[in-house]
Amino acid sequence: MKRKYAMITGISELAPIKDPAGQKTLALLAEAARLAIADAGLHNTQIDGLLVTPPSEDSAFMWPAQVCEYLQIRPSLLNMVELGGASAVGAVSRAALLVKAGLVKNCLCLSGGVWDSQVFNTLQGKKSVMSQAEIDFELPYQPLGFNTGYALIAHRHMHLYGTTPEQMAKVAVDQRKSALLNPLALFNQAPLTVDQVLQSPLITDPLHLLEIVRPCSGAAAVVVSNERGASLHDSVSILGWGEAFSHNSIVYAEEITTSPVKESAHRAFGMAGCEPADIDLLSLYDCYPITVLITLEDAGFCAKGEGGIFVTQHDLSYQGDRPCNTHGGQLSMGQASFAGGMSHVIEAVRQLRGEAGERQVARNHLAFVNGNGGVMSTESSLILGRTEYV
Amino acid sequence: MCNPTQFYFEHLNKGELWLQYCPECQRYIFYPRSHCPGCWSQHWEWHRSQGKGRIYSYSVIRVSSLGGDGEVPYIYALITLDEGVRMASRIVDCGLQEAAVDMPVEMTLQTFGGQMMPVFRPVCSRPG
Repeated sequence: MKRKYAMITGISELAPIKDPAGQKTLALLAEAARLAIADAGLHNTQIDGLLVTPPSEDSAFMWPAQVCEYLQIRPSLLNMVELGGASAVGAVSRAALLVKAGLVKNCLCLSGGVWDSQVFNTLQGKKSVMSQAEIDFELPYQPLGFNTGYALIAHRHMHLYGTTPEQMAKVAVDQRKSALLNPLALFNQAPLTVDQVLQSPLITDPLHLLEIVRPCSGAAAVVVSNERGASLHDSVSILGWGEAFSHNSIVYAEEITTSPVKESAHRAFGMAGCEPADIDLLSLYDCYPITVLITLEDAGFCAKGEGGIFVTQHDLSYQGDRPCNTHGGQLSMGQASFAGGMSHVIEAVRQLRGEAGERQVARNHLAFVNGNGGVMSTESSLILGRTEYV
Repeated sequence: MCNPTQFYFEHLNKGELWLQYCPECQRYIFYPRSHCPGCWSQHWEWHRSQGKGRIYSYSVIRVSSLGGDGEVPYIYALITLDEGVRMASRIVDCGLQEAAVDMPVEMTLQTFGGQMMPVFRPVCSRPG
């Protein structure tokens, strides 16, 4: 019997939005919050903890207070979790800790915002997601933001381990197969082939356009609780989590093809008392396919350097022997501000509840979820289980 | 105390690459900063670098990051200097297909927005 630290009683996810015109971050968050507490069978007065990821465009000053004022809630603990793409998993992990400590009974984890590419493609927009050291010592050479960071990792991974562009493309292809059954996904109209990925334009070698995540607007929420309460859904428990950090800019990572997932996953598995072989479902932050390959390796699902072989030997779709990112991942779903990282938590909960509809996986006892911030800088790993089986 | 970042850039404008070195930790430090990241002391020294190293990884950038300046494609790279530190830079005087991980390179200087910055070229292309 595994130790259950807290439960996920409510989830919500808005359809990602391509056109930011007229969207407001607080409105998106409020709608996600409304749907999540309804899903949990809770009233808004029962929310006594709030963890929110940063806004992408609004002023972040006193952001938790801005959100609580808008929602008119008075939690006993409020905070912002800023770990880049790992923020959402980081928020759920922290909520479990607060619930387990008895400080909070129902913690609302909120993530999302408005993303306007017109704003972020300006010099000022680029600087807003860079440290002063990156502005001084990297920006003058004009890297293509996060894309180039991951391109550097991919090139070195290819050099050290013989990883191929075909192997990386396969991740996007398998995820698209699942996305076709996800009505929320931005890219759910047509299947994708490896050839199509490789024939799309090279942006920053070796990354092609169709293996680069599409930023968009949206929001998602999770309620972490100490008891099942009025929830009508099959219960999902938080069994373990772990976090790790190694660098801010990828330039200064000790070895760019090895990520802090090595430590974060190890800690999560240790707390949960299980191992990679026990996991039925993978939900891995996928800003690019190389992120998935390295996460698989460093979390222990395959040997170091064999991520490329692993993804070609396994079917990652919802029908496959190693279902991974069955919502389509961010590559097909879209990366809705910081909610992109929450989408991996939400899909794992749907699958564990048995509520994934046509893309439901056959075996759904245990899920491994990973959030990744920056250029494989900060990693947050989470192990969730269907309560009746763990 | 002189601002380390300012010292670094001023010397680049004279054509010289200087790196901080911590005698206690016996390691070089990059990027320039107030405290040694190993022992957190401020007792570091400036040492001049020969600017030699190898390509750690690289990417040919084919789309202009800020739109339409006509400069693409160019090779963005991480360089591991012989002193053991890594820095971001560009590879110049090198065909797009020629760049490779572990290729030996040496520093030259190029101006970006009025500031001289180190860029690197394959060692074999050194004139004379």
